[in-house]
Amino acid sequence: MRTRVAPARPRTLAPLVLILVALALVSGITGGLVRAGVPLPSLFPLSGWAGHAAVAHAGLMICGFMGTVIGVERAVAVKLRAAWLAPLASGVGALCLLVNKTDVGAVLWLAAAVFFTAVNVVVVHRQRAAHTLLLLGGALAWLIGCVLFLRRPGDAASLPWWFAFLVMTIAAERLEMTRLMRRRPGANASLWLLLGLMTLGAALTSFSVRVGGVLYGLSLLLLALWLGVFDIARRTVFAHGLARYMAVCLLGGYAWLAVAGWAWTGTTLGLPLRDMALHALGLGFIVSMMLGHAPVILPAIARIKIEFGKFFYLPLVALHLSLIVRLVWGLDDPHWRATGALLNTGAMALFAATMLGGAVLWRVRHARAGNDGE
Amino acid sequence: MTEHPFPYEGPEELRQPILTALRRVVDPEVALNVVDVGLIYGVTVADGKLHAQVTMTSAACPVTDVILEDIETQLDRDMPPELLIQVELVWSPPWSTERMSERARRFMGW
Repeated sequence: MRTRVAPARPRTLAPLVLILVALALVSGITGGLVRAGVPLPSLFPLSGWAGHAAVAHAGLMICGFMGTVIGVERAVAVKLRAAWLAPLASGVGALCLLVNKTDVGAVLWLAAAVFFTAVNVVVVHRQRAAHTLLLLGGALAWLIGCVLFLRRPGDAASLPWWFAFLVMTIAAERLEMTRLMRRRPGANASLWLLLGLMTLGAALTSFSVRVGGVLYGLSLLLLALWLGVFDIARRTVFAHGLARYMAVCLLGGYAWLAVAGWAWTGTTLGLPLRDMALHALGLGFIVSMMLGHAPVILPAIARIKIEFGKFFYLPLVALHLSLIVRLVWGLDDPHWRATGALLNTGAMALFAATMLGGAVLWRVRHARAGNDGE
Repeated sequence: MTEHPFPYEGPEELRQPILTALRRVVDPEVALNVVDVGLIYGVTVADGKLHAQVTMTSAACPVTDVILEDIETQLDRDMPPELLIQVELVWSPPWSTERMSERARRFMGW
C-alpha cells in the first residue's frame, strides 16, 4: 500500500503543450529543409506555412521546440501550475510565426522567457547553488534574445543569446552532475569565466559581429574542453545500459561543440562555415544531448515508460553520420548539404520511431509480468 | 558504517529487505542506486507505516517524480502488503558529496 506525502499533480495542460512541441519541431525541421535547398512536395507550400517556417527556422527550433520542452521540464520539477505558462506561451508563439503573425509570436516568446525566468527564480530560492544560478543565467539569455527578436525579427543578433540559453542550460545540468566527482581546483571558476566570455561575445555581436563572434566561438570551444575534462560522462561511459548510452550521446556532442566553436570563430573571420557553426551546435551538440536524455525525460514529463535497448544507438549513429555528410561533404557542395539535411531529418524521425518502439516494448514486457505487479 | 547507509528505526527483520529494495532504484544518468548516491535520509517503520525521507541532488530535476515512484514500487514489492508506504521528498539538509557511499566515490574516481 503506498502514498506520497507531496503527490504528483495532475497536468491538465501537458497534452496541449506536447502537441505544440510536436508542431514546432515538425515545422522547424521543414523550415530547415527549405533553407538547405531540399525540394519539398506541395503539401509544404513555400507561399504558406512552410515558407514562414523557413524564415523562422531558428526561432521555431530554439524557442518553439527546445524552449517549450525545457519550460515543461522546469514546470514538472517545480510543481507549480503557473510554471506551465512559460511552455504554453512559447508553443503558441511558434504557431503565430507559422501563420505569419510574427509580432504576436515575438511578444509571446518574450512572455514565455519572462515566465521561465520567474520559474528559475523560484528554483534558486529553493536551492541556491552554482547550477541553479546558471539555469537562471540561461533563462536571462533567452529573455535578452527575445527582446532583440521583438525589436528586429529579421536580425540575427538574437541568435547567440538564444543559443546561449540552451548552452547555459546544458552546462548547468552538467555542472550539477560534476558535483558527484571530486571537485577539482579551478573547475567552477573556469566555467564561470568561459560563460562570461560567451555572454560578452553575445553582447558584443550587436555592435561588432567580428569581435563578438570570435569571443563567442572561443567560449564554445573552451566549454567543449571543460566538459571533456570535468563531466561525469567520462566515468559513466564505462557503465552499462542507459547510463553508457547517455554518456556516448554527451561525449559525441562535446566533439561537435568543439567543431561549432571553431566554425563560429571562422565564420566571423569570413570563412564559409556558417552552416557548420549553427548545425554542429544545434544538431551535433544540442540534439545529441536531447537524444541522450529523452529516454529519461519523456517518462517524467509525458508519463510514458520506455524500455531501453541497444537499438537506441541506431538513430544516434545516424545523426552523427548524417552531420558528417552535411557539414564535411556539404562544405562546398550544396547538393551534399541538402542531402545531409534530409538525412538529419531521417535520423530524428528514426529516433521518434525508436522512442515509440521503446514505449511499446515496455508495455509488452510489463503486461507479461503484470500479475506480479501492484 | 557500510551496513547502515542511512538512519533506520523499525523491526530488525525489515532492515535488510528495505535496503535491498532501495538499492534496486537506480538514478539512470549516473548508473548508481539512490542509496549509494546518498539520497535516502532515513526510514522509519512504526504503527503499520513505513516512512522514507528522500532528497534529490537538484531542485530543477524533472525526474524527481519518476525516482520517487520507483522507490515506492520497489518498497511495495518487498514489504508486507498491510504496511502503508509513505515517501517524503525533503530538501533540508541539502544533499552533499559526503553522503555518497564508498562504492559511489570509487566509481566517480574519488
